Amino acid sequence: MNIIPTIGMETHVELKTNSKMFCRCHVLDTESPNESLCPTCLGLPGSLPVPNKKAIEFITLLALSTNCSITNDGMFHRKNYFYPDLPKNYQISQFDLPVGTEGSLEIVVDGEFGTVEIERVHMEEDTGKSTHIGSGRIDSATSTHLDFNRAGIPLVEVVTKPLIKSSKEAVAYIEELRQLVIDLDISEGKLEKGNLRFDANISVAHEGDKELGTKVEIKNMNSLKSLEKAIEYEISRQTKMLIAEENIIQETRHWDEKKEVTSSMRSKEGSADYRYFSDPDIPNMILSNDFVNEIKKIIPELPSQKRKMFIETGLSIEDANNLGKNKNWIGDLYRSITKITGDSKSSFNWVTGELQGQLRKLEIKDLPNWVTPKNLSEIILLVKEDKISFTSGKEILANLIEQEIVPEEFASENNLIQENNIEEISKIVEEVIENNSEVLERIANGEEKLIGFLVGQIIKISKGQVNPSVAKELLLKEISS
Amino acid sequence: MADKIDIKNVAKLASIKLNQEEEDRLKNDLSMIIEHFDALSKMDLPDDKISIHPLGMSLNLAEDIASKSLTHKEALSNAPESKDGQFVVPPSLD
Ligand SMILES: [Zn+2]
Repeated sequence: MNIIPTIGMETHVELKTNSKMFCRCHVLDTESPNESLCPTCLGLPGSLPVPNKKAIEFITLLALSTNCSITNDGMFHRKNYFYPDLPKNYQISQFDLPVGTEGSLEIVVDGEFGTVEIERVHMEEDTGKSTHIGSGRIDSATSTHLDFNRAGIPLVEVVTKPLIKSSKEAVAYIEELRQLVIDLDISEGKLEKGNLRFDANISVAHEGDKELGTKVEIKNMNSLKSLEKAIEYEISRQTKMLIAEENIIQETRHWDEKKEVTSSMRSKEGSADYRYFSDPDIPNMILSNDFVNEIKKIIPELPSQKRKMFIETGLSIEDANNLGKNKNWIGDLYRSITKITGDSKSSFNWVTGELQGQLRKLEIKDLPNWVTPKNLSEIILLVKEDKISFTSGKEILANLIEQEIVPEEFASENNLIQENNIEEISKIVEEVIENNSEVLERIANGEEKLIGFLVGQIIKISKGQVNPSVAKELLLKEISS
Repeated sequence: MADKIDIKNVAKLASIKLNQEEEDRLKNDLSMIIEHFDALSKMDLPDDKISIHPLGMSLNLAEDIASKSLTHKEALSNAPESKDGQFVVPPSLD
Protein backbone atom coordinates (compact mmCIF):
# COMPACT_ATOMS: atom_id res chain seq x y z
CA MET A 1 0.00 0.00 0.00
CA ASN A 2 1.28 3.45 -0.90
CA ILE A 3 2.42 5.82 1.80
CA ILE A 4 1.44 9.43 1.24
CA PRO A 5 3.22 12.42 2.82
CA THR A 6 1.31 15.55 3.82
CA ILE A 7 3.02 18.88 4.37
CA GLY A 8 1.82 22.18 5.82
CA MET A 9 3.99 25.30 5.80
CA GLU A 10 4.20 28.11 8.34
CA THR A 11 6.06 31.12 7.02
CA HIS A 12 7.03 34.32 8.80
CA VAL A 13 7.44 37.38 6.60
CA GLU A 14 9.25 40.37 8.05
CA LEU A 15 7.60 43.52 6.71
CA LYS A 16 9.67 46.47 5.52
CA THR A 17 8.30 49.31 7.56
CA ASN A 18 10.29 52.23 8.98
CA SER A 19 9.11 51.68 12.53
CA LYS A 20 8.18 48.66 14.64
CA MET A 21 4.70 47.10 14.90
CA PHE A 22 3.52 48.55 18.21
CA CYS A 23 6.03 51.34 18.92
CA ARG A 24 7.84 53.87 16.79
CA CYS A 25 11.36 52.55 17.27
CA HIS A 26 13.36 52.41 14.02
CA VAL A 27 13.56 49.09 12.23
CA LEU A 28 17.36 48.92 12.08
CA ASP A 29 19.62 46.74 9.97
CA THR A 30 22.60 46.76 12.28
CA GLU A 31 24.96 44.40 14.02
CA SER A 32 25.17 46.66 17.11
CA PRO A 33 22.85 45.16 19.70
CA ASN A 34 20.07 46.99 21.56
CA GLU A 35 20.23 50.27 19.62
CA SER A 36 16.52 50.59 18.86
CA LEU A 37 14.49 50.06 22.01
CA CYS A 38 11.81 51.89 23.96
CA PRO A 39 9.65 51.09 26.98
CA THR A 40 7.02 49.41 24.74
CA CYS A 41 9.27 46.94 22.93
CA LEU A 42 11.17 46.31 26.18
CA GLY A 43 7.87 45.43 27.86
CA LEU A 44 8.27 47.98 30.64
CA PRO A 45 5.24 48.51 32.88
CA GLY A 46 2.92 51.33 31.87
CA SER A 47 3.85 51.32 28.18
CA LEU A 48 1.07 51.01 25.57
CA PRO A 49 1.20 49.43 22.13
CA VAL A 50 -0.19 51.35 19.12
CA PRO A 51 -0.36 49.34 15.87
CA ASN A 52 1.51 50.52 12.78
CA LYS A 53 -0.83 51.68 9.99
CA LYS A 54 1.60 50.77 7.22
CA ALA A 55 1.97 47.22 8.57
CA ILE A 56 -1.82 46.82 8.59
CA GLU A 57 -1.92 48.04 4.98
CA PHE A 58 0.86 45.61 4.05
CA ILE A 59 -0.80 42.56 5.60
CA THR A 60 -4.10 43.49 3.96
CA LEU A 61 -2.29 43.68 0.60
CA LEU A 62 -0.84 40.22 1.19
CA ALA A 63 -4.14 38.73 2.38
CA LEU A 64 -5.98 40.11 -0.65
CA SER A 65 -3.25 38.94 -3.04
CA THR A 66 -3.49 35.40 -1.66
CA ASN A 67 -7.25 35.43 -2.31
CA CYS A 68 -8.10 35.45 1.41
CA SER A 69 -11.38 36.59 2.94
CA ILE A 70 -10.68 39.66 5.05
CA THR A 71 -11.83 39.69 8.67
CA ASN A 72 -13.42 43.12 9.08
CA ASP A 73 -13.84 42.78 12.82
CA GLY A 74 -10.53 41.37 13.98
CA MET A 75 -8.44 41.70 17.08
CA PHE A 76 -5.05 41.14 18.65
CA HIS A 77 -4.38 38.42 21.19
CA ARG A 78 -1.64 37.77 23.68
CA LYS A 79 0.24 34.51 23.18
CA ASN A 80 1.73 33.75 26.57
CA TYR A 81 4.98 31.94 27.04
CA PHE A 82 8.10 32.33 29.12
CA TYR A 83 11.11 32.74 26.97
CA PRO A 84 13.59 35.60 27.27
CA ASP A 85 13.53 36.58 23.58
CA LEU A 86 10.24 38.38 24.29
CA PRO A 87 10.60 40.74 27.24
CA LYS A 88 6.83 40.99 27.88
CA ASN A 89 6.47 37.22 28.43
CA TYR A 90 3.88 37.29 25.70
CA GLN A 91 3.83 37.95 22.01
CA ILE A 92 1.12 40.12 20.52
CA SER A 93 -0.39 37.97 17.79
CA GLN A 94 -3.78 37.00 16.38
CA PHE A 95 -5.71 33.92 17.37
CA ASP A 96 -9.23 33.21 16.12
CA LEU A 97 -9.77 36.42 14.16
CA PRO A 98 -6.76 36.78 11.82
CA VAL A 99 -6.67 39.41 9.06
CA GLY A 100 -7.08 36.83 6.27
CA THR A 101 -8.55 33.33 6.04
CA GLU A 102 -9.23 30.68 3.39
CA GLY A 103 -6.98 31.84 0.58
CA SER A 104 -4.95 30.21 -2.17
CA LEU A 105 -1.78 30.75 -4.13
CA GLU A 106 -0.97 29.57 -7.64
CA ILE A 107 2.44 27.89 -7.89
CA VAL A 108 4.56 26.38 -10.68
CA VAL A 109 6.03 22.90 -10.15
CA ASP A 110 8.00 21.16 -12.91
CA GLY A 111 6.58 23.50 -15.53
CA GLU A 112 2.97 22.95 -14.50
CA PHE A 113 0.48 24.94 -12.46
CA GLY A 114 -0.48 23.91 -8.96
CA THR A 115 -2.39 25.49 -6.09
CA VAL A 116 -1.51 25.83 -2.42
CA GLU A 117 -4.43 26.41 -0.06
CA ILE A 118 -3.83 29.13 2.53
CA GLU A 119 -5.46 28.66 5.92
CA ARG A 120 -4.71 32.03 7.47
CA VAL A 121 -2.64 35.21 7.27
CA HIS A 122 -2.13 36.94 10.58
CA MET A 123 -0.25 39.86 12.10
CA GLU A 124 2.24 39.58 14.93
CA GLU A 125 5.51 40.96 16.23
CA ASP A 126 9.00 39.54 15.86
CA THR A 127 11.09 38.35 18.82
CA GLY A 128 14.59 39.42 19.88
CA LYS A 129 17.69 37.43 19.03
CA SER A 130 19.17 35.17 21.67
CA THR A 131 22.71 33.82 21.69
CA HIS A 132 23.60 30.95 23.96
CA ILE A 133 27.00 31.44 25.53
CA GLY A 134 29.11 28.56 26.77
CA SER A 135 31.29 25.77 25.55
CA GLY A 136 29.96 23.72 22.67
CA ARG A 137 26.54 22.20 23.06
CA ILE A 138 23.46 24.39 23.31
CA ASP A 139 22.27 22.60 26.46
CA SER A 140 25.54 23.24 28.27
CA ALA A 141 25.28 27.02 27.83
CA THR A 142 26.24 29.11 30.84
CA SER A 143 24.19 32.18 29.92
CA THR A 144 21.97 33.63 27.22
CA HIS A 145 22.68 37.01 25.60
CA LEU A 146 19.82 39.07 24.23
CA ASP A 147 19.58 41.68 21.50
CA PHE A 148 16.09 43.19 21.23
CA ASN A 149 16.58 45.30 18.07
CA ARG A 150 14.39 42.80 16.20
CA ALA A 151 11.80 42.52 18.99
CA GLY A 152 8.59 44.18 17.81
CA ILE A 153 9.33 44.32 14.08
CA PRO A 154 6.08 43.61 12.19
CA LEU A 155 5.79 40.00 11.16
CA VAL A 156 3.12 38.32 9.05
CA GLU A 157 2.57 34.62 9.50
CA VAL A 158 1.18 32.75 6.52
CA VAL A 159 -0.10 29.26 7.29
CA THR A 160 -1.05 26.78 4.56
CA LYS A 161 -3.47 23.93 4.86
CA PRO A 162 -1.76 20.55 5.20
CA LEU A 163 -2.33 19.69 1.55
CA ILE A 164 1.17 20.02 0.10
CA LYS A 165 2.30 16.69 -1.30
CA SER A 166 6.05 16.96 -1.95
CA SER A 167 9.24 18.84 -1.14
CA LYS A 168 9.17 20.28 -4.66
CA GLU A 169 5.71 21.74 -4.08
CA ALA A 170 6.83 23.22 -0.77
CA VAL A 171 9.86 24.85 -2.40
CA ALA A 172 7.74 26.18 -5.28
CA TYR A 173 5.32 27.63 -2.72
CA ILE A 174 8.05 29.48 -0.83
CA GLU A 175 9.48 30.77 -4.12
CA GLU A 176 6.04 32.06 -5.11
CA LEU A 177 5.37 33.66 -1.72
CA ARG A 178 8.80 35.29 -1.80
CA GLN A 179 8.18 36.74 -5.29
CA LEU A 180 4.76 37.92 -4.17
CA VAL A 181 6.02 39.90 -1.14
CA ILE A 182 8.79 41.40 -3.30
CA ASP A 183 6.34 42.43 -6.04
CA LEU A 184 3.94 43.83 -3.43
CA ASP A 185 6.94 45.74 -2.04
CA ILE A 186 6.06 44.81 1.53
CA SER A 187 9.23 42.85 2.45
CA GLU A 188 12.84 42.58 1.32
CA GLY A 189 12.10 38.87 0.89
CA LYS A 190 15.72 37.89 1.51
CA LEU A 191 16.00 34.37 2.93
CA GLU A 192 19.64 34.84 3.92
CA LYS A 193 18.69 37.86 6.03
CA GLY A 194 15.80 36.07 7.69
CA ASN A 195 13.11 38.25 6.08
CA LEU A 196 11.36 34.99 5.21
CA ARG A 197 11.54 32.14 7.73
CA PHE A 198 9.68 28.88 7.39
CA ASP A 199 8.79 25.75 9.36
CA ALA A 200 7.29 22.60 7.85
CA ASN A 201 4.70 20.30 9.43
CA ILE A 202 5.08 16.83 8.02
CA SER A 203 3.14 13.61 8.47
CA VAL A 204 2.78 10.37 6.54
CA ALA A 205 -0.18 8.00 6.24
CA HIS A 206 -1.28 5.02 4.18
CA GLU A 207 -3.10 6.02 1.02
CA GLY A 208 -6.81 6.13 1.66
CA ASP A 209 -6.50 6.60 5.43
CA LYS A 210 -9.19 8.94 6.70
CA GLU A 211 -6.94 10.67 9.22
CA LEU A 212 -3.55 12.31 8.77
CA GLY A 213 -0.56 10.72 10.50
CA THR A 214 1.17 12.22 13.54
CA LYS A 215 2.45 15.69 12.75
CA VAL A 216 6.14 16.51 13.20
CA GLU A 217 7.32 20.12 12.99
CA ILE A 218 10.67 20.82 11.34
CA LYS A 219 12.55 24.01 12.19
CA ASN A 220 15.83 25.67 11.29
CA MET A 221 15.77 25.47 7.50
CA ASN A 222 17.56 28.55 6.20
CA SER A 223 17.46 28.04 2.45
CA LEU A 224 15.30 26.48 -0.22
CA LYS A 225 17.92 23.77 -0.59
CA SER A 226 17.73 22.88 3.10
CA LEU A 227 13.91 23.03 2.99
CA GLU A 228 13.89 20.49 0.18
CA LYS A 229 16.45 18.21 1.84
CA ALA A 230 14.83 18.42 5.28
CA ILE A 231 11.40 17.47 3.92
CA GLU A 232 12.86 14.60 1.89
CA TYR A 233 14.74 13.33 4.94
CA GLU A 234 11.74 13.60 7.25
CA ILE A 235 9.36 11.88 4.82
CA SER A 236 11.76 8.97 4.47
CA ARG A 237 12.34 8.77 8.26
CA GLN A 238 8.60 8.67 8.97
CA THR A 239 7.87 6.29 6.08
CA LYS A 240 10.38 3.77 7.43
CA MET A 241 8.82 4.08 10.89
CA LEU A 242 5.31 3.60 9.52
CA ILE A 243 6.34 0.50 7.61
CA ALA A 244 8.04 -0.89 10.72
CA GLU A 245 4.88 -0.01 12.68
CA GLU A 246 6.89 2.15 15.04
CA ASN A 247 5.26 4.94 17.00
CA ILE A 248 5.84 8.39 15.45
CA ILE A 249 5.97 11.01 18.21
CA GLN A 250 4.40 14.45 17.81
CA GLU A 251 7.39 16.73 18.32
CA THR A 252 9.54 19.54 16.99
CA ARG A 253 12.69 18.51 15.18
CA HIS A 254 15.69 20.56 14.18
CA TRP A 255 17.24 20.37 10.69
CA ASP A 256 20.99 19.84 11.04
CA GLU A 257 22.55 21.52 8.02
CA LYS A 258 25.91 19.74 8.35
CA LYS A 259 24.74 16.20 9.07
CA GLU A 260 21.67 16.57 6.83
CA VAL A 261 19.35 14.93 9.35
CA THR A 262 16.50 16.11 11.56
CA SER A 263 16.92 15.58 15.28
CA SER A 264 14.55 15.91 18.21
CA MET A 265 14.64 19.19 20.14
CA ARG A 266 14.20 19.03 23.87
CA SER A 267 10.57 20.00 24.25
CA LYS A 268 9.44 22.99 26.24
CA GLU A 269 7.51 21.81 29.28
CA GLY A 270 3.79 22.35 28.82
CA SER A 271 4.56 24.43 25.75
CA ALA A 272 1.34 23.79 23.86
CA ASP A 273 -0.77 25.91 26.18
CA TYR A 274 -0.28 29.53 25.15
CA ARG A 275 -3.38 30.76 27.00
CA TYR A 276 -4.38 33.21 24.26
CA PHE A 277 -6.59 36.05 25.34
CA SER A 278 -7.57 39.33 23.66
CA ASP A 279 -5.02 42.04 24.36
CA PRO A 280 -6.79 44.52 26.64
CA ASP A 281 -4.37 47.28 25.58
CA ILE A 282 -5.42 47.25 21.92
CA PRO A 283 -8.98 47.95 20.75
CA ASN A 284 -10.62 45.73 18.12
CA MET A 285 -8.99 46.00 14.75
CA ILE A 286 -11.77 47.09 12.43
CA LEU A 287 -10.83 46.90 8.77
CA SER A 288 -13.68 48.80 7.13
CA ASN A 289 -14.83 47.95 3.62
CA ASP A 290 -13.66 51.40 2.56
CA PHE A 291 -10.18 50.66 3.86
CA VAL A 292 -10.08 47.27 2.14
CA ASN A 293 -11.32 48.77 -1.14
CA GLU A 294 -8.58 51.42 -1.03
CA ILE A 295 -5.99 48.68 -0.60
CA LYS A 296 -7.51 46.71 -3.52
CA LYS A 297 -6.82 49.73 -5.73
CA ILE A 298 -3.08 49.69 -5.05
CA ILE A 299 -2.43 45.99 -5.69
CA PRO A 300 0.30 45.91 -8.36
CA GLU A 301 0.66 43.31 -11.13
CA LEU A 302 1.02 40.01 -9.26
CA PRO A 303 3.43 37.17 -10.15
CA SER A 304 0.51 35.04 -11.41
CA GLN A 305 -0.70 37.86 -13.66
CA LYS A 306 2.80 38.47 -15.02
CA ARG A 307 3.07 34.76 -15.75
CA LYS A 308 -0.24 34.74 -17.59
CA MET A 309 0.80 37.67 -19.72
CA PHE A 310 4.18 36.10 -20.57
CA ILE A 311 2.46 32.83 -21.48
CA GLU A 312 0.20 34.76 -23.83
CA THR A 313 3.31 35.96 -25.71
CA GLY A 314 4.15 32.31 -26.39
CA LEU A 315 6.45 31.33 -23.53
CA SER A 316 6.17 28.00 -21.70
CA ILE A 317 4.88 28.04 -18.11
CA GLU A 318 8.42 27.35 -16.87
CA ASP A 319 10.02 30.18 -18.87
CA ALA A 320 7.21 32.57 -17.95
CA ASN A 321 7.70 31.73 -14.29
CA ASN A 322 11.46 32.27 -14.47
CA LEU A 323 11.06 35.55 -16.34
CA GLY A 324 8.73 36.81 -13.60
CA LYS A 325 11.42 36.27 -11.00
CA ASN A 326 13.57 38.97 -12.59
CA LYS A 327 13.45 42.70 -11.97
CA ASN A 328 10.42 44.31 -13.59
CA TRP A 329 12.45 46.11 -16.27
CA ILE A 330 13.68 42.75 -17.57
CA GLY A 331 10.10 41.59 -18.07
CA ASP A 332 9.17 44.90 -19.71
CA LEU A 333 12.18 44.70 -22.02
CA TYR A 334 11.22 41.15 -23.00
CA ARG A 335 7.67 42.29 -23.76
CA SER A 336 8.88 45.05 -26.11
CA ILE A 337 11.45 42.83 -27.81
CA THR A 338 9.15 39.90 -28.43
CA LYS A 339 6.67 42.28 -30.07
CA ILE A 340 9.35 43.31 -32.58
CA THR A 341 10.96 39.90 -33.18
CA GLY A 342 7.78 37.85 -33.03
CA ASP A 343 9.91 35.07 -31.50
CA SER A 344 9.20 34.61 -27.80
CA LYS A 345 11.71 31.83 -27.12
CA SER A 346 14.73 33.62 -28.69
CA SER A 347 13.71 36.91 -27.10
CA PHE A 348 13.50 35.18 -23.71
CA ASN A 349 16.85 33.44 -24.17
CA TRP A 350 18.64 36.59 -25.26
CA VAL A 351 17.19 38.81 -22.54
CA THR A 352 17.49 36.44 -19.57
CA GLY A 353 20.61 34.63 -20.81
CA GLU A 354 23.06 36.67 -22.87
CA LEU A 355 22.02 40.20 -21.94
CA GLN A 356 21.72 39.58 -18.20
CA GLY A 357 24.85 37.45 -18.20
CA GLN A 358 26.95 40.14 -19.84
CA LEU A 359 25.54 42.89 -17.61
CA ARG A 360 26.26 40.79 -14.54
CA LYS A 361 29.84 40.14 -15.67
CA LEU A 362 30.41 43.86 -16.13
CA GLU A 363 28.59 44.55 -12.84
CA ILE A 364 26.19 46.91 -14.62
CA LYS A 365 22.91 47.25 -12.70
CA ASP A 366 20.90 49.34 -15.18
CA LEU A 367 20.71 49.06 -18.91
CA PRO A 368 22.63 51.88 -20.71
CA ASN A 369 20.01 54.18 -22.25
CA TRP A 370 21.14 53.54 -25.85
CA VAL A 371 20.49 49.82 -25.49
CA THR A 372 16.91 49.74 -26.71
CA PRO A 373 14.35 47.06 -27.57
CA LYS A 374 14.89 48.15 -31.19
CA ASN A 375 18.64 47.53 -31.47
CA LEU A 376 18.49 44.42 -29.27
CA SER A 377 15.80 43.02 -31.55
CA GLU A 378 18.03 43.81 -34.52
CA ILE A 379 20.74 41.52 -33.11
CA ILE A 380 18.24 38.76 -32.33
CA LEU A 381 16.79 38.93 -35.84
CA LEU A 382 20.23 38.93 -37.51
CA VAL A 383 21.01 35.67 -35.70
CA LYS A 384 17.56 34.22 -36.26
CA GLU A 385 17.77 34.89 -40.00
CA ASP A 386 21.24 33.32 -40.12
CA LYS A 387 22.80 36.59 -41.30
CA ILE A 388 25.29 36.37 -38.46
CA SER A 389 26.37 33.51 -36.19
CA PHE A 390 25.27 33.24 -32.58
CA THR A 391 28.85 33.97 -31.52
CA SER A 392 28.87 37.14 -33.62
CA GLY A 393 25.55 38.12 -32.05
CA LYS A 394 27.12 37.90 -28.61
CA GLU A 395 30.08 39.97 -29.81
CA ILE A 396 27.80 42.67 -31.22
CA LEU A 397 25.81 42.71 -27.96
CA ALA A 398 29.01 43.20 -25.94
CA ASN A 399 29.92 46.15 -28.17
CA LEU A 400 26.41 47.57 -27.93
CA ILE A 401 26.56 47.52 -24.13
CA GLU A 402 29.85 49.43 -24.34
CA GLN A 403 28.88 52.06 -26.89
CA GLU A 404 26.10 53.22 -29.16
CA ILE A 405 26.33 51.17 -32.37
CA VAL A 406 23.92 50.06 -35.08
CA PRO A 407 24.10 46.24 -35.00
CA GLU A 408 23.71 45.64 -38.74
CA GLU A 409 26.30 48.30 -39.64
CA PHE A 410 28.67 46.94 -37.03
CA ALA A 411 28.25 43.45 -38.48
CA SER A 412 29.13 44.61 -42.02
CA GLU A 413 32.07 46.73 -40.92
CA ASN A 414 33.53 43.84 -38.97
CA ASN A 415 32.89 41.16 -41.62
CA LEU A 416 30.43 39.28 -39.45
CA ILE A 417 27.77 38.86 -42.12
CA GLN A 418 27.60 35.20 -43.07
CA GLU A 419 27.70 33.95 -46.64
CA ASN A 420 24.37 32.34 -47.25
CA ASN A 421 24.65 32.21 -50.98
CA ILE A 422 24.50 28.48 -51.68
CA GLU A 423 26.47 28.78 -54.93
CA GLU A 424 29.33 30.62 -53.23
CA ILE A 425 29.44 28.14 -50.37
CA SER A 426 29.24 25.17 -52.74
CA LYS A 427 32.35 26.42 -54.52
CA ILE A 428 34.27 26.46 -51.25
CA VAL A 429 32.91 23.02 -50.33
CA GLU A 430 34.12 21.61 -53.64
CA GLU A 431 37.52 23.18 -53.13
CA VAL A 432 37.85 21.65 -49.68
CA ILE A 433 36.79 18.21 -50.94
CA GLU A 434 39.33 18.36 -53.75
CA ASN A 435 42.18 19.23 -51.38
CA ASN A 436 41.34 16.66 -48.71
CA SER A 437 40.94 13.33 -50.48
CA GLU A 438 42.87 11.55 -47.72
CA VAL A 439 40.53 12.88 -45.03
CA LEU A 440 37.51 11.89 -47.10
CA GLU A 441 38.80 8.36 -47.32
CA ARG A 442 39.13 8.19 -43.52
CA ILE A 443 35.60 9.52 -43.11
CA ALA A 444 34.40 6.81 -45.47
CA ASN A 445 36.18 4.32 -43.19
CA GLY A 446 34.17 5.47 -40.19
CA GLU A 447 36.12 8.41 -38.71
CA GLU A 448 33.02 10.60 -38.74
CA LYS A 449 34.41 13.19 -36.33
CA LEU A 450 36.65 14.40 -39.17
CA ILE A 451 33.55 15.97 -40.78
CA GLY A 452 33.98 18.70 -38.19
CA PHE A 453 37.52 19.25 -39.40
CA LEU A 454 36.32 19.78 -42.96
CA VAL A 455 33.57 22.18 -41.83
CA GLY A 456 36.30 24.09 -40.02
CA GLN A 457 38.29 24.28 -43.28
CA ILE A 458 35.27 25.67 -45.11
CA ILE A 459 34.76 28.35 -42.47
CA LYS A 460 38.47 29.19 -42.51
CA ILE A 461 38.54 29.69 -46.29
CA SER A 462 35.41 31.85 -46.11
CA LYS A 463 37.07 33.92 -43.36
CA GLY A 464 34.30 33.00 -40.98
CA GLN A 465 31.52 34.22 -43.19
CA VAL A 466 29.87 30.87 -43.81
CA ASN A 467 27.11 29.65 -41.56
CA PRO A 468 28.50 26.41 -40.07
CA SER A 469 25.21 24.52 -40.24
CA VAL A 470 24.74 25.41 -43.91
CA ALA A 471 28.34 24.41 -44.64
CA LYS A 472 27.91 21.06 -42.93
CA GLU A 473 24.68 20.37 -44.74
CA LEU A 474 26.24 21.06 -48.16
CA LEU A 475 29.35 19.07 -47.29
CA LEU A 476 27.36 15.99 -46.26
CA LYS A 477 25.33 16.26 -49.43
CA GLU A 478 28.50 16.36 -51.54
CA ILE A 479 30.13 13.44 -49.73
CA SER A 480 27.12 11.17 -49.98
CA SER A 481 26.55 11.87 -53.68
CA MET B 1 -16.33 23.46 40.36
CA ALA B 2 -13.01 23.56 42.23
CA ASP B 3 -12.20 20.00 41.24
CA LYS B 4 -12.15 21.03 37.57
CA ILE B 5 -9.10 23.21 38.17
CA ASP B 6 -5.67 21.67 37.78
CA ILE B 7 -3.94 24.23 39.98
CA LYS B 8 -0.52 22.56 39.62
CA ASN B 9 -0.66 22.94 35.84
CA VAL B 10 -1.85 26.55 36.08
CA ALA B 11 1.08 27.31 38.41
CA LYS B 12 3.49 25.62 36.03
CA LEU B 13 2.19 27.63 33.04
CA ALA B 14 2.52 30.83 35.04
CA SER B 15 6.00 29.76 36.09
CA ILE B 16 5.35 30.22 39.82
CA LYS B 17 5.92 27.92 42.80
CA LEU B 18 3.02 27.41 45.25
CA ASN B 19 2.96 25.73 48.64
CA GLN B 20 -0.04 23.63 49.69
CA GLU B 21 -1.76 26.50 51.48
CA GLU B 22 -1.39 28.82 48.47
CA GLU B 23 -2.61 26.10 46.13
CA ASP B 24 -5.80 25.66 48.17
CA ARG B 25 -6.47 29.38 48.45
CA LEU B 26 -5.87 30.10 44.73
CA LYS B 27 -7.90 27.10 43.67
CA ASN B 28 -10.78 28.50 45.66
CA ASP B 29 -10.32 31.99 44.16
CA LEU B 30 -10.18 30.64 40.62
CA SER B 31 -13.29 28.54 41.02
CA MET B 32 -15.21 31.60 42.21
CA ILE B 33 -14.15 33.43 39.03
CA ILE B 34 -15.23 30.52 36.85
CA GLU B 35 -18.57 30.25 38.66
CA HIS B 36 -19.09 33.93 37.97
CA PHE B 37 -18.55 33.39 34.23
CA ASP B 38 -20.88 30.40 34.35
CA ALA B 39 -23.55 32.66 35.78
CA LEU B 40 -22.91 35.24 33.03
CA SER B 41 -23.21 32.67 30.27
CA LYS B 42 -26.61 31.60 31.60
CA MET B 43 -28.00 35.10 31.07
CA ASP B 44 -30.33 35.62 28.15
CA LEU B 45 -28.77 38.39 26.05
CA PRO B 46 -29.29 39.39 22.42
CA ASP B 47 -26.19 38.51 20.33
CA ASP B 48 -25.36 42.09 19.38
CA LYS B 49 -25.04 43.07 23.02
CA ILE B 50 -22.20 40.62 23.56
CA SER B 51 -18.79 42.24 23.37
CA ILE B 52 -15.80 40.05 22.69
CA HIS B 53 -13.41 42.81 23.60
CA PRO B 54 -13.01 44.66 26.90
CA LEU B 55 -12.48 48.00 25.14
CA GLY B 56 -15.51 49.34 23.34
CA MET B 57 -13.52 51.84 21.31
CA SER B 58 -12.23 51.83 17.75
CA LEU B 59 -8.61 51.34 16.92
CA ASN B 60 -6.22 54.21 16.36
CA LEU B 61 -3.36 53.36 14.07
CA ALA B 62 -0.02 55.17 14.15
CA GLU B 63 1.66 56.53 11.04
CA ASP B 64 4.82 54.62 10.16
CA ILE B 65 7.19 57.38 11.19
CA ALA B 66 10.11 56.28 13.33
CA SER B 67 11.02 58.46 16.24
CA LYS B 68 13.77 58.59 18.81
CA SER B 69 14.19 55.55 21.02
CA LEU B 70 16.02 55.16 24.28
CA THR B 71 19.77 55.45 24.06
CA HIS B 72 21.67 52.19 24.19
CA LYS B 73 22.87 53.10 27.68
CA GLU B 74 19.36 53.96 28.91
CA ALA B 75 17.94 50.73 27.49
CA LEU B 76 20.43 48.62 29.40
CA SER B 77 20.46 50.75 32.56
CA ASN B 78 17.92 48.61 34.46
CA ALA B 79 19.32 45.27 33.41
CA PRO B 80 20.67 43.24 36.36
CA GLU B 81 23.43 42.03 34.06
CA SER B 82 24.74 42.99 30.64
CA LYS B 83 27.77 42.24 28.50
CA ASP B 84 29.00 43.43 25.08
CA GLY B 85 25.90 45.60 24.76
CA GLN B 86 23.57 42.65 25.31
CA PHE B 87 21.20 41.71 28.12
CA VAL B 88 22.47 38.67 30.00
CA VAL B 89 20.03 36.14 31.47
CA PRO B 90 20.38 32.61 32.86
CA PRO B 91 20.81 29.96 30.13
CA SER B 92 17.61 29.14 28.28
CA LEU B 93 16.93 26.65 25.56
CA ASP B 94 15.14 27.08 22.29
ZN1 LIG C 1 10.18 50.32 20.79
